[in-house]
Formats: sequence, C-alpha cells, structure tokens
Amino acid sequence: MQIEATQQIMLLLLVLFPLGGAVTNGLLGRYLAKGLVTLVGVGSVAVSFGLAVASFVQLYGLHHEAHHATLVYHFYEWFSLKLPGGQVVPVNVRFAMDSLSGIMTLVVTGVGGLIHLYSVGYMGEDEGYPRFMSFLNLFMASMLILVLGSSMPLMFVGWEGVGLCSYLLIGFWYQNRDYAAAGRKAFVVNRIGDFGVLIGMLILVVVAGSFEFSEINAAAVDGRFQADFPVLIFGVAPSLATIACLFLFLGCTGKSAQIPLYVWLPDAMAGPTPVSALIHAATMVTAGVYLCCRLSPLFITSDVAMSVIAVIGTLTALLAASIAVAQREMKKILAYSTVSQLGFMFAAVGVGFFAAGFFHVFTHAFFKACLFLGAGSVMHAVHAHGDADIFKLGGLKKDLPTTRWTFLASCLAIAGFPLTSGFFSKDEILLGAAAQIHRPDDALMQAVGWFTLIGLTLAAVMTAFYMFRLYFLTFTGEYRSADQSGDHPYDAHPHESPPSMAIPLVVLGIGALVVGFLGLPHVMPVTGTHLPSWWGHWMESSVAGRPVPEELSVVNLASGLAFAAMAVGIGAAWMLYRNENEDALAKAAPARLYQLAFEKWRVDELYAAIIVNPIRKLAAAVGHSDMTFVDALMTRLPSFNVRAAGRLFAHLQNGVVQMYGAVMVVGFVAVMAWFWAPHAAIEADFEGTEVALEAPKGLGYEYRWDANSDGEFETAWTTAASTSFEYQQDDMRGVAVFLRSIETGSERRIRVTEKWTSLPIESVVPAERMTPSERGFEVRVDGADLVFRKPFVPTGSQEMRLPMGRVGRLGQARVFARPLVEATVEVRNAFGNTRRASRELALPFAFEDAAPRASLMPPSSREVLR
Amino acid sequence: MLGIGTYLALASVLFGIGAVGFLSRRNMLVQLMSIELMLNSVNVLLLAFNRAYPGNHDGQVFAFFVIAVAAAEAAVGLAILIAYYRIKRTVDTDDATLLKY
Repeated sequence: MQIEATQQIMLLLLVLFPLGGAVTNGLLGRYLAKGLVTLVGVGSVAVSFGLAVASFVQLYGLHHEAHHATLVYHFYEWFSLKLPGGQVVPVNVRFAMDSLSGIMTLVVTGVGGLIHLYSVGYMGEDEGYPRFMSFLNLFMASMLILVLGSSMPLMFVGWEGVGLCSYLLIGFWYQNRDYAAAGRKAFVVNRIGDFGVLIGMLILVVVAGSFEFSEINAAAVDGRFQADFPVLIFGVAPSLATIACLFLFLGCTGKSAQIPLYVWLPDAMAGPTPVSALIHAATMVTAGVYLCCRLSPLFITSDVAMSVIAVIGTLTALLAASIAVAQREMKKILAYSTVSQLGFMFAAVGVGFFAAGFFHVFTHAFFKACLFLGAGSVMHAVHAHGDADIFKLGGLKKDLPTTRWTFLASCLAIAGFPLTSGFFSKDEILLGAAAQIHRPDDALMQAVGWFTLIGLTLAAVMTAFYMFRLYFLTFTGEYRSADQSGDHPYDAHPHESPPSMAIPLVVLGIGALVVGFLGLPHVMPVTGTHLPSWWGHWMESSVAGRPVPEELSVVNLASGLAFAAMAVGIGAAWMLYRNENEDALAKAAPARLYQLAFEKWRVDELYAAIIVNPIRKLAAAVGHSDMTFVDALMTRLPSFNVRAAGRLFAHLQNGVVQMYGAVMVVGFVAVMAWFWAPHAAIEADFEGTEVALEAPKGLGYEYRWDANSDGEFETAWTTAASTSFEYQQDDMRGVAVFLRSIETGSERRIRVTEKWTSLPIESVVPAERMTPSERGFEVRVDGADLVFRKPFVPTGSQEMRLPMGRVGRLGQARVFARPLVEATVEVRNAFGNTRRASRELALPFAFEDAAPRASLMPPSSREVLR
Repeated sequence: MLGIGTYLALASVLFGIGAVGFLSRRNMLVQLMSIELMLNSVNVLLLAFNRAYPGNHDGQVFAFFVIAVAAAEAAVGLAILIAYYRIKRTVDTDDATLLKY
C-alpha cells in the first residue's frame, strides 16, 4: 500500500533555510559581525536538521500505516518539455521524502550541521569566513535539492549545485594557483560525468514519459526498458536499460570519484579541511551511490550495467587503497581512502545489494567525517597548512586525547573491527558479493561475484593496514617535530582543539562506533540465528535489490573474509608502525613499486599524456588557425578591401578647390538634365474588366492617356498619375499566347505567328517530366483561335482548335491565348517638355466574341479571316 | 518698365562672372567674393520673379534667407581664411594641401 502525505511545507523549508543562509552570508556577510555570520550559517543548518528530524518522525509514523510512505511538497511547475511523440512532460519543483531520501536528509543535515559547527573553530580566523559559511550553506541547499528532488531535472539542479560548491570550496584559497587549478580540475572532470547524466536522463524520459523517479521506476518494473537499443554495439543490441544505466553511471563515476574519473578527488584536498570532510567524504561524493539506489529498480534490470558497476567499483577500491598505502600526508591518505570506500559502495550496488551499499554510505559518513575532522584537528594543533606529513608527526596521543580517541574509534570502524559500524556495513557488501557466487544459473554473475569478493577482501586488508599506519604514525611513537630539526618542522607544542571542534569529533566518533547496529545482518554468522535488520526492512520500500542469502555457508564465508582482512591489515600495521618513526614498508617493499604507488601509479601523468596534452595541442592549433586563417579571411581581407577602395577614391581629393567647384557644376548640370525632360512609363493593374494604368510621378508632371493607342487621347491634360479604362473588343490589336506549367505555375509568353511554329513546352516543363508524345506540338494563330497539330502526322487529321479565353492542356502544361491591347501615355513637365511611352498589355480575360479587327491583323491572317 | 527677360539676363551674367571667377582665380579672398556674386545673382532672380508674379512675398522672404546665409558663410569663410593665412602666410588655394591624400 502507498501513502502520500502531500504539501508538507517542512520539505520546502528544509531547503530554503540553508539557501537563505547562503544568500544572507554571501551578500551581507562581510558587513556583519562574526557572531551573526556564525548564527546565520550554523543556525540555518541547525533549523534544517530540526525540520529533517521532524519530517523523518512523521515519515516513520506513516510507515507503520503503509509500507510505501512518502512525504511530498509540490512547489510549482517549473517548465514543460515536449517529447518526440507529442507528449508534454511537466518538470516540477517537487520535493519528496521517502525512506531512502529521509535517511540521506538526516545524514546531510546532521553530519553537515556538525561540520558547520566545526568550521566555526577551524575557519573562524580566516578573513574569508563569511564567504566560506555562505558556500557551505549553498552546498547544503544544493545537496538537499539533490536528495529531496522528486524528479531527474530537479535532482540534476542539486547535482550541478554541489558540483559548483565543490569547485568554489576547493578553490577557496584561490590566491594559491595550485588550489585554484585543483578546483578547475574537479569542475572539468565532473562536467564529463554530468554529460553522461544528461544523456541517461533523456533516455529515461523518452522511454518512461516522465521525469519523476517514481514513474521511471514503475516503468522499469513494467519492463519498458527491456526494449533493444536501436544501435548495435559490438554487434549486440543492448537493452535501453543498459545504455541508460551506463550513461548514468558515467555521471556517478564523476561525482563519486570512480575509475576513470576519480582523479579530481585527491586534488580536492586543496580545500579547507571541513570541506574535505563534508563534501569530499560524507555527502556530495555519495550522490552517485544515492542516484543508483534511487533508480535501483531500473539498474537491477540490466545485468550488464550492474556487472560493469561491480567491476569498476572493485577496481577503484583496490587501486585507491593501493595508493593510500604509500602516501605520506594525512588528507591524501584519507582522500584515497574515500575513493576506495566509494568503490566498496559501488561494488555493493553492482552486486545488487543497494541497501547494503547505502548502509555503507551512512556509516562512512560518520567515520570518514570524523577522520577528516580529526586530521583537521591535528593540523590545527601543529599549525600545518594545507596538509600534514605524518612522518613529521607522531606521539600526539598525549597532547590531543580527544582527537586521538575519536580518531581511533573511526579507524576501527573503517577497518571493520567487530561491532563498529564499518564492520556491519562492509560485511553486508561482502555478503552481497558472496551471494553472487552462489548463483549457479548465471556464469557472468558468478565471475563478477568471485572478482568482487576477492578484490574487496584485498582492498579491505589494505584499508585496515593504511588506516592504522596513519593512526600509529600520527599518535604513537615520538613527536618528530619536537626538536625543530628537519625540513619545515611543525609547531613544537601541539595543543588540543577548542570545544566547537571537539564536540563534532566526539559526536561523530560515537556515531562511528554505534550506528552499525541499525543494520544488523539478517543471519548471524556461525550460529545462524536470524536477527532483525532494521535497515533492510526500512529500505525495502524504496530500494530494490537481489535477495539476501540465508545459507549459513555464504554468511560465514563473507564474515570470515571480512574479519580476516581486518585482522591481517591491523596486525601488519601494528608490527610495522606501532611506536615506529620511519616508514618500515618503504624499506620492506621493492623500492620501485613503492615509489610507483607513492606517485599514484602515475595515472595523472597518463591522463595528461593521452587526453589533456592532445586537447591542449588541438586547442593551440585551432587557436593558431583562428589567428591566421580566420582572421585573414574575416578581418584582414575586408580591411584591405576598404583601404584599397579608400586609396582609390582619395585620389579624387586632390586639394584643388577649383576642381571641386568644377565637379559640383558638372553634377548640377547632370541633375538639371535629368529634370529637363519628363520620364514616362506605364504600369498596369487588372481588376475584373477594368484596367488601371499608372505612370511615374514627378515634379509638375501632367499626363494624358490614349489607352487604346488609336491616336486619340481619351483624357485631357491632368495632374493625376493614373487612370482606368475598360477595353472593348475593337481595341484588340492581336493575340498573345502563354504557356503555363501545371506543377509550378511558372508562366511564359511565347511567340507564335500565323505560320506553323513548334511549341517550346520545355521552357516551362522540365523535359524529363514529359512523355515523348507530349514533346512535339506545332501551333499557329488563326484569327483569335489557336490551332495545334502534332508533327509527323498528316496535316489536318490531328488539328485542335482553341478559341481565345479558353485553356487547353498539353501534357504537363496549359496553353491559352489572351487579347493584346496597347496603351500610350504622354507626360509633360513644368518646362513644357513632353515624352510618350507605349506598352502592350495582355489582358487576363477574353471578350465575348473575340475576333480581332481585321485592320489590325497582320496581312496574312487577314486573309484567313476573310 | 523692364521685362523679366532683362533681369534674367542680368542674373545670368552675374552668376556666370561669379562661377568663372570661382573656378579660375586662386586667391581665396577673390573666390569668396565670387561666391557672394553667385548668391546675389540668385537674389536678383528671386526678386525679379516675385515682382513678375506678385501673388505673395515668398521670393522676397527667400532672398532675406539667402542674405542671412551669405553673411554666415562669409563670416565662417573669412575666419577660415585668416586661420589659414596664419599657418601658410598666403591665401593661395593651390597651397591648401594639408588634408590632401
């Protein structure tokens, strides 16, 4: 059963509060007191969190009544789109909160709120503090639009919004060129992904006929995406679902930092640490996973796309973890850890365990935010700018007890220590991979399952290892900057952070330990006891998924691997790094391999070589051709022409005043000559049997008309330039013959005498449109009649007679005759000079008895008449 | 009383003298005077026609306009002449080639 609670104003306010905060701080922040900026920045998010909790409680209540409950707020219709089929699809600004977006909203506002609070302490001394708060609030608003938007376009607004905020915040210290470049890189890489989302979105709307997630998912459940994609790829026609999902996943690889578009995220650490925590760990980067879960009924219909997602996710998890093992800087390690954990989430999505993937999003938000904030706290403590080299730290557990304990809790969680949050979520993901192995019906699924399970286990080992490497090197051993030797040592006396930074650490640290209990495994390993999984039950209503296996062997395999990975990873780190001051791994591992991992497998250099540099070269070449070829054509050539013409005419300006005077006199004489004689011509206009005649106007002109050219002027001298005349049969002077194409209507007057002449039909009808028999005609005038005959036929047998005014058809052409009259006008100007003009007029109508006067006919036709 | 033909002849002669003077002389002052002569020949015509067709006073009014324009023209022309003389120390138009290409 479904329930929709409509017009929940809280959903709108949820979004508007952070947006208002962003506008206020963005426009007025620099004039406001710092306390007020803090109040607006943190307060708006706090209110938003309160509203999120209230909405969630209401949603929870509804959930007891019906399994599918949704809170909805329809704001307005933004615009509408016409599909190729003619269907009009509205694009609504409509917010919806169901079980999936409800959890996400809580995470975004909750973790986001804590990070805002942390920022008060961390960024308070920065001169860009109001700007920072404004950007953070804008990010919150965008993220909430992304999460709560009920349709693809609105989600896309949020999707682009968080991308923008990411750009703004990575390049927050834009005075540093490297940081600004990192922001640009993030923006450009994300743009590639966004292109994929747009294409995927268009496929979805064309098939489903709606932008709303609920209707797209309903269409997917109905199997409407199973139709074949109209283009063959490698000789196979993939389903529409596969194509759409792969394009959407391209967007996810951009936003959620997966292979091949993950390269921006490590560079994004250029931003202030709270940004890394909020955007690049806890919320924005999980948007891709959120989108996959949102459209899970669609994704699950395409095995191909799911397999691609699982493999990419696993590869990303492995690659990023292997890089993290060799890094020296806190935030770099955490950044690659984030990429790796996102890989876990996508692997979960790819094996059809959407709920498990999203559970990892949820738990990851706590421990990764806590880790980043802990790193920030350390950097704050030792006054490290930008990032902190762990080999210059060490032994900080004495000076930073709060940071140390929360950091340890989060490290345990991410490593998957039993009963911490990461333990449960990672377990579920491995369980999902293991479940695929036990699908004997599907070889592809089995292969993907094995690959995912082994890959993720290895990644989990590395995760535990590098996290505890980070922990041991930072918090145990001796403080390596204490004696102020070495390159750029940090502050010799580290100090614990202020409460505004410590409180979020504690809250998030506790969260990292306990939130896992929301998602207890369905079947307990070893004992096989069934446990109530609140998470699985809660997510069921809005997220699809493959069935959770019940067999004890599968559950034991997954849990065993997860536990073993954690134990091996932590154990290795304990042996190599506990209370150590040097990089033991660097000594133990082959130097070249270690160096390659430290240089991130040189992926950035690879991209530069195969993509960035060729594009740069192309751009340079295009720019060069613009400056040479295009400019030559569009600017230099015209300017040359103008200059040449100018040089030509400039010679007329010879500076001799008399010459100018002479030219003036010549011009004056020419104008006078023009005016001296009048100008005559005739224009005719036919209306019924009336013919309107008009002559050109001029100064002081007078006219008289001889409309039938019989030598007698019908009108006296008059200043009116026009007259009208009704022609009689007697006025006829001959016959004009016309040929008109039936198709195009193009008309042509043809010259026909009283002798047989061939009729040029080709002049109006293209030759290829005529049959051979239509081509040959001969015609002559017989009085007012036209006489036709075909050549090659004995004369007289095939003649056709056509009286004037009637229309005859010859193949693709019409032929007809018109009476011909002549009109004359005489014009007189003020000087008394006169001039005449005559014109033959073919009247578009025929006279009753249309025989021209014998006296006016040529002599031979006069014979015929007689 | 003289017929209109007389006035026309006078005006034509005056205009011709002005035109020829303007075209043939090189002294800017003389050229300005030639222009005045042509303008005044037109004035003579205007007045003569007005006298021949005395229905209204358009011709006389127009002659006043011409006089006014001629005065303005003379002022501007003489000003240019003086400025030009200060630069070139001559009023010969053949030397006025500063703006020549």
